[in-house]
Amino acid sequence: MSSVHVRDLKKSYGHAPVLHGISLDIEDGEFVILVGPSGCGKSTLLRMIAGLEGVTAGEIRIGSRVVNNVPPKERDIAMVFQNYALYPHMTVAENMAFSLVLKRASKAEITQKVQQAAAILGLETMLDRHPKELSGGQRQRVAMGRAIVRDPKVFLFDEPLSNLDAKLRVQMRSEIKALHQRLKTTTIYVTHDQIEAMTMADRIVVMRGGVMEQMGTPLDLYDQPANLFVASFIGSPAMNQIPGSIGAKGFVADTGHVLPLPTSAVAQIGRSAVYGIRPEHMTLEPSGMPVRVKTVEPTGSETLLLTELSGPQTSIDITAVFRGRVAAAPGDTIHLQPDMAMVHLFDKETGHRIMA
Amino acid sequence: MAEVALDRESGGGPLRAMGGVIATPELATLRTAGSQAPGFGIRGWIRVLLADIRRDWQLYVLLAPMIIWFAVFLYTPMYGLQIAFKQYSLFRGIDGSPWVGFSNFVTLFNNEYFLRAIKNTLLISFYSLVFAFPMPVILALMFNEIQHNGFRKIAQTITYLPHFISVVIIAGLVINFLSPSSGIVNVLLAKMGFEKIYFLTIPDYFRPIFIGSNIWKEAGFESIIYLAAIAGINPALYESARIDGASRWQMMRYITIPSILPTVVIMLIIRIGNMIEVGFEYIVLLYQPATFETADVIATFIYRAGLQNNQYSIGAAAGLFNAVVAFILVYGANRLSRRVSQTSLW
Ligand SMILES: Nc1ncnc2c1ncn2[C@@H]1O[C@H](COP(=O)(O)OP(=O)(O)OP(=O)(O)O)[C@@H](O)[C@H]1O
Ligand SMILES: [Mg+2]
Repeated sequence: MSSVHVRDLKKSYGHAPVLHGISLDIEDGEFVILVGPSGCGKSTLLRMIAGLEGVTAGEIRIGSRVVNNVPPKERDIAMVFQNYALYPHMTVAENMAFSLVLKRASKAEITQKVQQAAAILGLETMLDRHPKELSGGQRQRVAMGRAIVRDPKVFLFDEPLSNLDAKLRVQMRSEIKALHQRLKTTTIYVTHDQIEAMTMADRIVVMRGGVMEQMGTPLDLYDQPANLFVASFIGSPAMNQIPGSIGAKGFVADTGHVLPLPTSAVAQIGRSAVYGIRPEHMTLEPSGMPVRVKTVEPTGSETLLLTELSGPQTSIDITAVFRGRVAAAPGDTIHLQPDMAMVHLFDKETGHRIMA
Repeated sequence: MAEVALDRESGGGPLRAMGGVIATPELATLRTAGSQAPGFGIRGWIRVLLADIRRDWQLYVLLAPMIIWFAVFLYTPMYGLQIAFKQYSLFRGIDGSPWVGFSNFVTLFNNEYFLRAIKNTLLISFYSLVFAFPMPVILALMFNEIQHNGFRKIAQTITYLPHFISVVIIAGLVINFLSPSSGIVNVLLAKMGFEKIYFLTIPDYFRPIFIGSNIWKEAGFESIIYLAAIAGINPALYESARIDGASRWQMMRYITIPSILPTVVIMLIIRIGNMIEVGFEYIVLLYQPATFETADVIATFIYRAGLQNNQYSIGAAAGLFNAVVAFILVYGANRLSRRVSQTSLW
């Protein structure tokens, strides 16, 4: 187990910069998730930590040791790949034992470690099978088993669940989480699924375009998104964004409607801003903003309403979620009242959070 | 490509069973799935075939030229095979010649030169298998380890080139190289104070010369198929192995070689199936009566008997014998490989 420190890390392929200076400190035993849209550089960052990609500038430390020029096998890390990368001609047991065989571990030690990992992952009965005789979830487990037997300082996962169906994904999610709680190995995990990030991580790193947008606990990111990008990326359905400006009586949306603001925001009167309110933070009240219902999506436990706030010049889509059922039909007009304590304000130009 | 084939396997038509000559690790799956045609007996088979043609007629159109080629150039001439059992005479024609049963074969197997030809064929093939067969595999593995792209391309091209030279010219080159008067080998030998050797007249040198120059000519080109197999290996396996701590040598041993093994086995089967056919033209170009002792093979024997000495029936009998043995060899090799490596051609 070990901490991981990344300092001003940069990466370019030829002249194309991919990472623009990332700094992170990951504590010993922490489960950190890198999220962000496709192409933002998550895999690149992870592969640099693994040693599969060279460092253009900056520094990577594992524990106290700078590993910039240390080959992967000496970094004491284990990586689980998106397509598992199991050796197709080796059995499950051989796959898991491979790194130990290369280290010339004793037969007894290999058997013991493989058995132990197989027991943790429920693979005892499959040790003699080849990868092609396994289901996706089982392959996933073998890939993790291969990582576990090495007893590394750091686990690296690159979208390990993206090839699984939704149900299996939920199951493996909790298995990985349980595994981490049991082994307490520092883990860096890449995904572009924000639900995975929210449910599994101790801390989340949100990336975009090779830049780190915010790092924090899942609830920090949910409650205090640093900017519009994080606000829209974390939380599902995404936060509603209503452009407008801060007025004396509240937030004046571009549609002309006045929305409630906490009193602390009044100091900023006149400033152009974006009003952020999550779909789950609105109630149905006659005093709320009048919106026209476009679609109703009941999931059973919740009802999702896609609505439209219309003004003379523009109209804005607003999503709302309610527990239980709502008697609304497309075409109806309902009134949504934002919960004042849950309002976020962002600068219109920069997208940065305005402390309110 | 393989995935598509796998998907369609479930249809189980006759065409399925023929597919998958492409050597991939999935091959084993291809074979097992292909044999479960629904329906019974020949009629069921025909029904499935017709349904299959209706569904995938485009594929059958693509197949047609090959079938026609086989029918016209391979199956039609087979009609003439019967002269192996006849006392063939040019004037009476194939149908008019009298049947003589197996007497041509009896004559053949009492001919010590034919027995010598069999022995030579098998020996040349065996030594080729031992020395020439591994070369392209080794070459491909070596090319794969070359880091510098430009250098690798140049090296590959250089080794491919001899393949495109006509065998006649190759034979000319070899003869010139080894010529006792002006050949570079003998010039060097003379310079170093050795006696000149007339290589191509000495039976002991024939096999090494034949096999060695064949390696030079074909190894580079044959390495392409192994390079293709290597290119098909998932790169993540190497990354995973790097993290697991494998050196380049260990990656070759534990990943590259096992991954191309099915391809190697397929090539080996084809090679064993062709054991009994050695490069006929090349032998004819290189051998001379002085080296018949080691150089005369079944094909050259047939050529001399049938075409030079007009013993058509003997030639046909030898040819038929050759074909039967070849068939048994291919069949046996295929069975063997299925048992040993779960990989087979059909
Ligand atoms: N070998 C390479 N050569 C050139 N550019 C590359 C290379 N690998 C990645 N890139 C570029 O780097 C950027 C980041 O890629 P990366 O694979 O890290 O994205 P990602 O965040 O993992 O995306 P995804 O969620 O789709 O996996 C992309 O724009 C990609 O085009
Ligand atoms: Mg990625």
